[in-house]
Amino acid sequence: MIHRGLIMRFSNANSLLSTASSMLVYLAFFLLIGLPLTLVVMQVIFPDVFNPNNPNFEMSFGPLGRIFSLPRVYLAILHSVELASLVGVLATILGGAFAVIVQRCDIPWRKTVRIIPWIVFLTPAYLKTVAWVLLMSPGGYLAEFGLLPPLTGSLFFAFPGLTLVHALGLFPFATFIIGNALRGLGSEMEDAARLGGVSLWRIWLKINLPLLAPALALSFIAIFAQVLSDFGLASTIARMSNFGVLTYEIYAATSSYPIDFPLAGTQSLVLLSLVTVAVVADRLLRRKDDLKLISGRSRPSRDYRLGYWGWVVTVMAFIVAFIALILPVGAVIIRALTRTLSEGMSLHNFTLVNLIEASNIHSMAFTALSNSLRYAVIASLISCAAAVSLALQLEGPGKFMRSSVMSLALASVAIPGIVFGFGYILMWNRLPFFKDFSFPHYGDSSLLITGYVGVALPYALIVVMASIGQLAPSLNDSARLFGVGGFRRVIRITLPLIAFSVLTGFILNFIHIMFELPVSQMLIPRTESPAPIYVLRLLNYDKDGLACALSLLSMLIAGGAALILWLGFRWVASRNGAANNGQWISTPSLTGDR
Amino acid sequence: MTLNGYKALPLVAAFVGFSFGASAADLTIYDALDFAPSAVKAFTAKTGVTVDVVEPGSTGEVLGKIAAEGDNPQFDIVWVDGSAVMERMLRDHILQAVPEEAISGVKYNEMGKSLLPKNRSFVPTGASTTAIEVNTKKVPSDQTPKSWADLEKFAGKVAAKDPNLSGPAFQWLAGYFQTNGVDTGKALLEKVLTNKALAGLSSGGKVNKAILTGDAVVGINQDSGIIAKAKAGEPVVAVYPADGSVALPIGLGVSAKTKHMDAAKKFIAFVTSAEGQAAMQAGDDTDFFFMPIIEGVKPKVDRPSDIKFIVLDDVKAASGETEWKQWYKAKFVP
Repeated sequence: MIHRGLIMRFSNANSLLSTASSMLVYLAFFLLIGLPLTLVVMQVIFPDVFNPNNPNFEMSFGPLGRIFSLPRVYLAILHSVELASLVGVLATILGGAFAVIVQRCDIPWRKTVRIIPWIVFLTPAYLKTVAWVLLMSPGGYLAEFGLLPPLTGSLFFAFPGLTLVHALGLFPFATFIIGNALRGLGSEMEDAARLGGVSLWRIWLKINLPLLAPALALSFIAIFAQVLSDFGLASTIARMSNFGVLTYEIYAATSSYPIDFPLAGTQSLVLLSLVTVAVVADRLLRRKDDLKLISGRSRPSRDYRLGYWGWVVTVMAFIVAFIALILPVGAVIIRALTRTLSEGMSLHNFTLVNLIEASNIHSMAFTALSNSLRYAVIASLISCAAAVSLALQLEGPGKFMRSSVMSLALASVAIPGIVFGFGYILMWNRLPFFKDFSFPHYGDSSLLITGYVGVALPYALIVVMASIGQLAPSLNDSARLFGVGGFRRVIRITLPLIAFSVLTGFILNFIHIMFELPVSQMLIPRTESPAPIYVLRLLNYDKDGLACALSLLSMLIAGGAALILWLGFRWVASRNGAANNGQWISTPSLTGDR
Repeated sequence: MTLNGYKALPLVAAFVGFSFGASAADLTIYDALDFAPSAVKAFTAKTGVTVDVVEPGSTGEVLGKIAAEGDNPQFDIVWVDGSAVMERMLRDHILQAVPEEAISGVKYNEMGKSLLPKNRSFVPTGASTTAIEVNTKKVPSDQTPKSWADLEKFAGKVAAKDPNLSGPAFQWLAGYFQTNGVDTGKALLEKVLTNKALAGLSSGGKVNKAILTGDAVVGINQDSGIIAKAKAGEPVVAVYPADGSVALPIGLGVSAKTKHMDAAKKFIAFVTSAEGQAAMQAGDDTDFFFMPIIEGVKPKVDRPSDIKFIVLDDVKAASGETEWKQWYKAKFVP
């Protein structure tokens, strides 16, 4: 009896601990994302809640009415939806094609093609916008070479050009998401169909594409949300194209004194709603839970042998790389190596002054860069740990909780960083209780890192949840039957199987945070300012040559750090994989080993 | 799935395991001026007073941050271009009137005295103005505009900043309305700014780019920025219209809730001294080319000083601010 009582008490204590830890994980998610967004959006109906002179909770639906009464606002909504939808489709197709090529096709230069999406992703968005303006302006670099007919320029600074630049910048997201799903797909079903005489096209149409549908939908929605939240192109090419979008409207409402908070809140609510509608529509259309593909028994798929077509595919991949990467990065390199804009590529205009100044380790630029590196490592670690904790937590409860958290994560991707930044200021500087916290504290780097975690968590969560969602329940069930405890099951089964996705999430977040601008601006610490702020300062003060040089250096360092991490992971994975004979060893890697 | 404390561990460990302490500086300055770090360095070297310089971006972005901080401001001093916005922040009790004793000792020249507001909403530490930026490769010298009205000849090719995002641009708009009258001024601008892609730019840098590599041939821009560009070798020149240019004070305001008034006073005394002004001129970027307003301090060599200045009526400008900004946005911003 005593023994039984002890077991029951232990079981109760364990259950209490379990509930407490669950609550803690949900609370962290709420504090990092839910509450800051709520504080911005609540001003839609409580417009004076943060009025510095007369704060009050008087309700008003006036701000909502402005969506329909201000033509520029509803036009901006239409433009944003139009742009995000088209880019979502184009980038998913392009990124999906890249994923299939690098994972399934035996093509020449495969290892090089495999790293193209990563380098495209590594190029900061604000730098790409600077680069495209330098390239395509009437007096830009291409015009200097006579390579820019007038019609091309006018088409570029219009909807088609905007769509192209977005799609070329965002296709890596689709490659990462669809690539992860392809990895889990294995080849059992495909092999079975082949043995049954089914043609390759029908296999893709009837088997692989339906199995990849969740990843394709996720990719579309994530890119749709990304375009909605973009500010870089919204403030440059979109403006030059007379194409007003929501993010710029939000920026305009918040970058002044006094701030039009109610309008910014209303527009943020619209952005949130747009993504939520897309997520809900996806759920309703597919009406099925994601398929559990990773069983631990899947065999790596075989490559398609394309023969001479392989060269065609490789050349097409390099054309994409040329437009998405070589052209913009080339423009940035030229700007970093030249003195003035107007002299363009005249020989006497070339100089090393900018590169020398950017690489001086005692300069403000280099100090800012090292600050950013430190912040990015810490925030990426925390966001990945939080994403894994939350994703594991969400495996337990029903579909509703999982869908809700995933929807909020995706919707928060659509929220511009500037809105997040404002939410954080309102929460940590204005809200009673929170404003008295000494850690994290507004004005210190602790809150900047917290903000980075807030914006990065959704990305890590999307990658990790997509991976965990594919794990077959039988893996855990079998282990449980053998009496393996929850902690050991996570360490020995789940984590090894999702390790690749966690690393992908870490690198994605690391690069994202290194170049994150709006949150850095809003939560800039009083000391130890990050690199994007310094680059912005240089751009604001017309020192775009030095800004380009510093950004190039940042890309090299961030890329180098990511590569070292990757190689380290491979080394650890191969050692552990060899020891455990687990899935790590068969996880396809960035460099092409399968 | 059985749960244990492990799920919370990474979060807790990460948050508790490292710490970033609060700054212990004596003074916190929010600014959007490129000479601020140089001035602060010289100030700390002279007085030993430590200063945190916070520069989140453009003037609009600094003001947005201040607005978000609301009744719990974290700065002691705000230092930006523009005077009307200082008036507005004083009205909203974000700023306090600068103490009389902090200003009384400043040896202003005539222009400086004219820029000093009666209600002491800010201390002017220098000035610049808005001029017509002309690309000399695109506009022949005999066609150079000489007045704001001449810009009509370049309609569709005139770059300008959005006053909703730029303090200097609002100062210019308010001054333009002050000299031309609001209705006439609006009618004139509607004839000039006919290309929305060029008329609502967010910074002086973008005006420069539009003139140097884009479709614009002339622009409405802060003169110190034009001078800095010309000095860097770009083919631009600042033309001061015959009908006058509104003076753009570089204003220094004091937070209504500062706990460091003594340090703030010391800083005001320093930046309005010859030594402080020299530190504010020790560079070649935009703001270093300001117009000194302290007796005996000369402008940098390339900076013209014989300009027909108009001093803005800040009270009227602050009253019209919301309506004028909305009008500009509706008419000229895509």
